[in-house]
Amino acid sequence: MIARILPVLLTAAVCAQSADFAAVRAVLDKQCLTCHGAAKMSDFDMRQRDTLLRGGKRGPAVVAGRPEESLLYKAVAREGDLRMPPGKAALSDAELALVRDWIRDGAPWNDAPVSKNAEPAWWAFRKPLRPNLPASAGNPIDAFLLAKLSEKKLRPSPAADRRTLIRRAYFDLHGLPPSPAEVEAFVKDPAPDAWPRLIDALLESPRYGERWGRHWLDVVRYADTGGFETDVHFLNAWRYRDYVIDSFNEDKPYTTFVQEQIAADEMWPDDLDLEGSYEVPARKLANLKKRFGTTLYTIGPVAAEFTFYGDQYRAEWQADAVETTASAFLGLTFGCAKCHDHKFDPIKQKDYYRLGALFAASEDRDISIASRMAWIEYTRFLPRKLMIDELKKKIDLLNKRVVARLQAGPLRKRYNPEAMEKNYTPEEKDEYESLLRQIGLAELRTPKELETASVLVHSDRVHDSHVLLRGEWKQKGEKVAPGFPEFLGQSPAVAENRARRKALAEWLTSPEHPLFARVMVNRLWQGHFGSGIVATPNDFGRQGDAPTHPELLDWLAAEFAARGYSMKAMHRLMMLSGSYRMSSLPDEANAKIDPRNTYLWRMNRRRMEGEAVRDAVLAVSGQLNLKMHGPAVAVPLSNEELGGMRDLGQWAVSGDPADHTRRSVYLYVKRSFRLPMLETFDAPDASASCARRESSTVAPQALAMMNSEFVNQQADRLAERLKKEHPDNPEAWVDAGWRLTVGRAPTAEEKGRALAFLNRNNLARLCLMWFNLNEFLYVD
Amino acid sequence: MSIDRRRFLESAGLGFGSLAANFLLARDAAAATTNPLTAKKPPLPVTAKSVIFLFMHGGPSHIDTFDPKPALEKLHGQPPPDSFGDVQLQFSTFKKQPILASRRTFRKHGQCGMEISDLFPNVARHADSLALIRSMHHDGFTHTAALNWLNNGWPRLGRPSLGSWIVYGLGSESDSLPAFVVMLDGGIKSGPVVYSSGFLPAVFQGTTLRHGPSPILNLKPRDGMSQASQREFLDLLQWNNQRYSAPRADDSDLAARMSSYELAFKMQMAAPELADLGKESEVTRKLYGMDEDGTRDFGSRCLMARRLVERGVRFIQIWSGNTNGGGDWDGHASCDKGHTSMAAKTDKPVAGLLADLKARGLLDSTLVVWGGEFGRTCTSDGSLNGGGDSLGRDHNPYGFSLWLAGGGVRGGKIFGETDDIGLHAVKDRLHVHDLHASMLKLMGLDHTKLTYPFQGRDFRPTDVGGEGEITARLMAP
Repeated sequence: MIARILPVLLTAAVCAQSADFAAVRAVLDKQCLTCHGAAKMSDFDMRQRDTLLRGGKRGPAVVAGRPEESLLYKAVAREGDLRMPPGKAALSDAELALVRDWIRDGAPWNDAPVSKNAEPAWWAFRKPLRPNLPASAGNPIDAFLLAKLSEKKLRPSPAADRRTLIRRAYFDLHGLPPSPAEVEAFVKDPAPDAWPRLIDALLESPRYGERWGRHWLDVVRYADTGGFETDVHFLNAWRYRDYVIDSFNEDKPYTTFVQEQIAADEMWPDDLDLEGSYEVPARKLANLKKRFGTTLYTIGPVAAEFTFYGDQYRAEWQADAVETTASAFLGLTFGCAKCHDHKFDPIKQKDYYRLGALFAASEDRDISIASRMAWIEYTRFLPRKLMIDELKKKIDLLNKRVVARLQAGPLRKRYNPEAMEKNYTPEEKDEYESLLRQIGLAELRTPKELETASVLVHSDRVHDSHVLLRGEWKQKGEKVAPGFPEFLGQSPAVAENRARRKALAEWLTSPEHPLFARVMVNRLWQGHFGSGIVATPNDFGRQGDAPTHPELLDWLAAEFAARGYSMKAMHRLMMLSGSYRMSSLPDEANAKIDPRNTYLWRMNRRRMEGEAVRDAVLAVSGQLNLKMHGPAVAVPLSNEELGGMRDLGQWAVSGDPADHTRRSVYLYVKRSFRLPMLETFDAPDASASCARRESSTVAPQALAMMNSEFVNQQADRLAERLKKEHPDNPEAWVDAGWRLTVGRAPTAEEKGRALAFLNRNNLARLCLMWFNLNEFLYVD
Repeated sequence: MSIDRRRFLESAGLGFGSLAANFLLARDAAAATTNPLTAKKPPLPVTAKSVIFLFMHGGPSHIDTFDPKPALEKLHGQPPPDSFGDVQLQFSTFKKQPILASRRTFRKHGQCGMEISDLFPNVARHADSLALIRSMHHDGFTHTAALNWLNNGWPRLGRPSLGSWIVYGLGSESDSLPAFVVMLDGGIKSGPVVYSSGFLPAVFQGTTLRHGPSPILNLKPRDGMSQASQREFLDLLQWNNQRYSAPRADDSDLAARMSSYELAFKMQMAAPELADLGKESEVTRKLYGMDEDGTRDFGSRCLMARRLVERGVRFIQIWSGNTNGGGDWDGHASCDKGHTSMAAKTDKPVAGLLADLKARGLLDSTLVVWGGEFGRTCTSDGSLNGGGDSLGRDHNPYGFSLWLAGGGVRGGKIFGETDDIGLHAVKDRLHVHDLHASMLKLMGLDHTKLTYPFQGRDFRPTDVGGEGEITARLMAP
């Protein structure tokens, strides 16, 4: 309404002050250029004065000197049919006034060419400066949030109760529910520092690294197989997964964490000669473990057809390296620039291939990580493997004899050697069985394969790098040198082949880098508040969402650096804020102004991810096996579930049933087949970096929670647990069941109904009911 | 509250007396007023009760399928004449690329004499049922933008898909199946946003039927679990969930999850019967091409679509083309080869679907839509002498074809034209918003009145467009 009246009132007014072009440009940049910049929507390009004045399909946009006749002004003031920007809030009064005054002043334009060293126009490409704190006491996070809330006329929600808080903290940091005893201890703890102590304790537990490690694995498209039709098995992907979990648990500085993943071998060089001992020396082991970080670049998607030509494989491998690096560490979407200059961000196609060239002197390779003594042990028993080959030859000969016998007649049928058994005579069958047994025995006594790691190493030959036209590996364009995206500043020359990735790692982790710290603190924020300050954590470019609290984001980035890039310090900082402790309950007045809780007037309620649901079910049933580390676990699946798998021979179910109830982060991640239970709950497909899980609500989730073999088995286990802990005491079962699953005692009415239900149903059904409660699946 | 359920409860099958049954009946009655999926009376006259959207993922070339351009023969190998203007493309520079004439043969079909290429010999037999639009346009020249345009009516993320709007506007006719069902061919270039509910409550999003022998997992309740005890289980669960929701009434996710349990319960009974294509006669299965390897896949999805229509499902989307290496319509290289393969997989099943719907009297009330996110350019993506593999076509959102059949649409007519090289829609231009407005109107919804308040604005499926809807012309003889 005000916007409609304003122009009438204000065009008549005489404004002595001349419009500030930089401020106008900032408004246009923020509000208009996403569509009317490089995208030229409706043929309208606002990046230059002439094209801006000329307008688009609807004709001239600006009549210099006459705002009231300018389509641009009418559209942003929402006066006519055309109302801009569409789908967003109208411009503020101040912004409108700027645009109006600028048109009134003749739409002056500062055409000075933008020099290379000038500050980039887009906020995310400028180095964050530590902003001043808003004038208010207490936790700085609260100060920033409160300032925005009061600006929007919103009131912060009251603090949540302690039961809600401990559950929230456990799921945030561990992805597991607190035990009833832990809940009661916290609720009854009178000490004022009960909350900080709880957070410290949670951060010290190895469960923390498993939880946040899983978040990181999403970001780096982690999988144990290559996907596509062949879906090759990566022997050592799990070493990277363990490396990630350990890095979080050790509170490794984020800078070191990133440097190791990109260039551990170049930054901490070591011949890795594991010397002649049984024990690998500690220093060697430390350097070796750092190198497992580079396994990141050996576990991308890989299709058989990538490997038809050396150049093709390299092009595909580098493309994955570029896109994963850009998404994970830069928070930018580089995929578009593979084929053409980015349409909305200043990412040139050349930037894509310069970044790729930083990986062009390296390749993924399996290296032995066994000591000399291990090698001796292995090779001395190798003849047993030869024995197996010789025994297989005997089976081949047997089958040839059988075929010859069968084909003796006039009809020469073809026989499949794989299905010969049915043709054997009793004597032949005996011979076959005996050979099989010998093979089996030899196999049992065969030494285990020597351990390897899959890491980045330097290539013997380094080819020139080129821009690939339209992204096609055969279409080599201009030659490019390794370097960083130009729009992020000057790129030092990277000459040394064996220091290319080191250069990348150092550039990324430099305190001057505009994106590095912001992108990570935003991920941490999302993990705690449900949505990032930038809601598109992998896209800090113009296509992404603008930050809801830009100053807070920059302050957090500065704090991250000041605290030595300690992630645990940032968890503490965020969780100790009053904002984190707010209730998630509704508030009608606030909801009217900000229904989506963009400005965080309350905590966001979150549905657990599939992994957390599975882990929580196991924790409650008492079956959760907390064993850490090691090769991935394939769990048994029903035939129905296996129906979607291309080759059942690719699903090697773990032999030890105790492994089947380990935490979900240790489960086998197969790119061509997502575990049905996790897939239903929106597990990512690992084809590319996943910045944020979807949180869908569909009937197949209900079916999985009610009918799947897994959840029903765990309901049985929980029933057994309750009966064992409280023999013949249904009231105690009901009480304990509520406490275990949702962390509180049942009300009298809830208890009454549950007991009535038990009159006609077994306890396992009631346990299943608890697993299906919204209160169990959501974290308030 | 279905009559069956009332009978079921009243027959005392629950075994815990009429008091409990009465409570449940009262609860159902209360739920009916708040359940967002309750069927609503359409505000306008209805000709289409269901939609089957056959989505050709990647963007089929209109000039090789439904929009013949003989002028291209003469221009083959030359750059496009200046008179047609310039456009922005995804990969190539339009003005610099050589014209690539179609290798397809077009013939007139049906009494209407509609020209259709030899890629679709079977669909062509239905020419008199098709309302062919040759003047579709929008401005999204990348897949994601274009997929969002066609499915969400907006090139960016966050808007509800058309299926979600329709279910929001009309509710669900089926209380045992999702009202919006998506049958994928594999991955989608834009990801699942194209069947998401955007800012609408989550309960309106599309449900995917898994590909393969078990379309919906975990349908079977545990052994020995009778329907009555399932129901008792669910009643206790929902009673508890209701108590949790009461102070959190603003959270549509919680309500959606409660509805999803009711739906799941009913799906247990309805879906196995639905998915059992073995019940169909040999003749029907053959009609959809299920007797041949090449067409079995898409044919079974088309047949499933008919069965969904019979069961009152509102919006069914079937995808052809995936990102998993199984081929799609994105003909940047060897466009003709790729299209030939994709057409071979889909032509017979689509024709079979039309014939079957017609034979069963369902076509009158079922709107079938065929199209992709855009068409393709008349220029080649690469050079013309690079051999077969370089003869590709870039994306063209500025003019492309799409057809509708059934659901009140009178066939045998052609709407709109592109210019002589198939670049721009020039006559009777039809924007995506106009298409969506027309589809909504056939379903009894006014696109200007179907709104949802979000961030201080009443959003509608057609944003500020749709004024060019063509329902009257589609329905006219």
